[in-house]
Amino acid sequence: MIEAAQRTRPEAVGSKAPALPQVARRPARIVELWRFRQLIGMLVVRELKVRYKRSVLGLLWTMLNPLLLMVVYAVVFTTIMPAAQPNFAVFLLAGLLPWLYFATSLMQGLMSVLVNQELVRKIRLPQAVFPLSVVGSNLVNFTLSFLPLFIMMAALRQPFTPALLFLPAAAVILTLFCAGVTLLFATATVFFRDVRHLTEVLLQMLLYLSPVLYDFRQLGEHRTWWFHLFRLELRINPLSYLIPLVRDPVYYGRLPSLPTLAVALLWAAGALLLGFAVFTRLEPRHIHHL
Amino acid sequence: MRDGQIILEDVGVGYRIYREKVSTLKEAVANRFRHLRTAEKFWALRHVSLQIAPGEAIALVGHNGSGKSTLLKTVAGVLEPSEGAAVTLGRISPMIELGAGFDPELSGRDNVYLNGALLGFSRKQMSAKFQRIVDFSELGDFIDLPVKNYSSGMYARLGFAIAQDVEPDILIVDEVLAVGDERFQEKCKRRIQDFRSAGVTFVFVSHSLPTALELCPRAAVLHHGRLAFDGPTDAAWERYRELERGPAPGPVFQA
Repeated sequence: MIEAAQRTRPEAVGSKAPALPQVARRPARIVELWRFRQLIGMLVVRELKVRYKRSVLGLLWTMLNPLLLMVVYAVVFTTIMPAAQPNFAVFLLAGLLPWLYFATSLMQGLMSVLVNQELVRKIRLPQAVFPLSVVGSNLVNFTLSFLPLFIMMAALRQPFTPALLFLPAAAVILTLFCAGVTLLFATATVFFRDVRHLTEVLLQMLLYLSPVLYDFRQLGEHRTWWFHLFRLELRINPLSYLIPLVRDPVYYGRLPSLPTLAVALLWAAGALLLGFAVFTRLEPRHIHHL
Repeated sequence: MRDGQIILEDVGVGYRIYREKVSTLKEAVANRFRHLRTAEKFWALRHVSLQIAPGEAIALVGHNGSGKSTLLKTVAGVLEPSEGAAVTLGRISPMIELGAGFDPELSGRDNVYLNGALLGFSRKQMSAKFQRIVDFSELGDFIDLPVKNYSSGMYARLGFAIAQDVEPDILIVDEVLAVGDERFQEKCKRRIQDFRSAGVTFVFVSHSLPTALELCPRAAVLHHGRLAFDGPTDAAWERYRELERGPAPGPVFQA
């Protein structure tokens, strides 16, 4: 079936192409991402499916994980080195859950573009779906891990207060923040693989530089210069405002203060805007660095 | 402009070749990011202007490394041109690599939905296609097995079955017809012919003259990143042969 001679083409070969019309513009990145929102959901499901495949307990591990962690902490802080706080295990877990959500999202998410490079090379899609789906699957874990926390609270007679109803809002704010930071670090990792190792170390330091294992209020007063520096750092550290969103309702049984909430929101919105802007700006160059 | 149209205007895709290989921050800082300034550019594609009308079929011909894949990726939107402009209108079905995006751990069923989502289809849209895809792939009950247990033929069959059912305006095929047994290959070719008669734009990379002649009346020859010929397929093939006989110049570097 040779039709070479009957080729029908309007323009002669080599003629100057007309100016490209405006319609041909790429859709805005955010619109494109919206079109692929279902993909994010599917990648989350894939992540969870693959992670728990062939494990007998499956998704239960998500809940067993913090539960076992709590048992360890409970034993350590009640018998080996008693803590001043009552129900310290609840206090600790209320700080550790949002911390783990942030730290795990970031560590997994910053590799996500590299991990999915086969797709990035072959299919045109908004690459932000990869870090965002990592945050999404960690959000599922984060949400599920409240079940063991509640069990623990019941066992330790920690009161359940209406302030707990704030937790979904806390989860949303945390998610926005995690998404922004993860996007930023994911694109940085594409250009410099060191970012991964650097982040690993920084996160270990950040755990102690953030009010996760302790509370801002317990610090007391010292007159040394490094203590002032530490106080300053705590004031800047976004986690100082994000962790209380979970801990205040869970442990103290009250809503986070308005200033805390306001700063947390600002950090979350700022991180997301910056992360998304930088990521989408550098996205077209990723493919050259994979 | 209609869906299915492809316009490439003086497209160049350059890769930076870093003479000094720097991939750690320490090295980059140590020599003050000199590697960025001294990088040379390798043009995988340059000064390529092509207009492909909706419903047209074109074969891309060229030696290994001539820029065919780069051109396909530019058309598919995976690569952005570093020079010029590339515009494609409509939905593209990239059969650049069948089954790209399959997760080996997931079942064929899950992969159909995942692959659909990768191409921008919702779960609901894929549900409507699902049975057709399974039928076309002839996988039967294997569809619920993890893809890692598939033979390479089964893998490619499922990949093609998905790619053929996404109602593309532009079909990009990179020598996928070499997969599956002869009968399945025939089936793929028939399907592509269906697309052709339905007015789908078709871009095809081929190393085989008979297949190219069968599917595309027009062909473009790429030679070291330049468009060396654009016209009837048999003439293109002659030009391609001619170029291949000539001395092969090395890759062109420009600082």
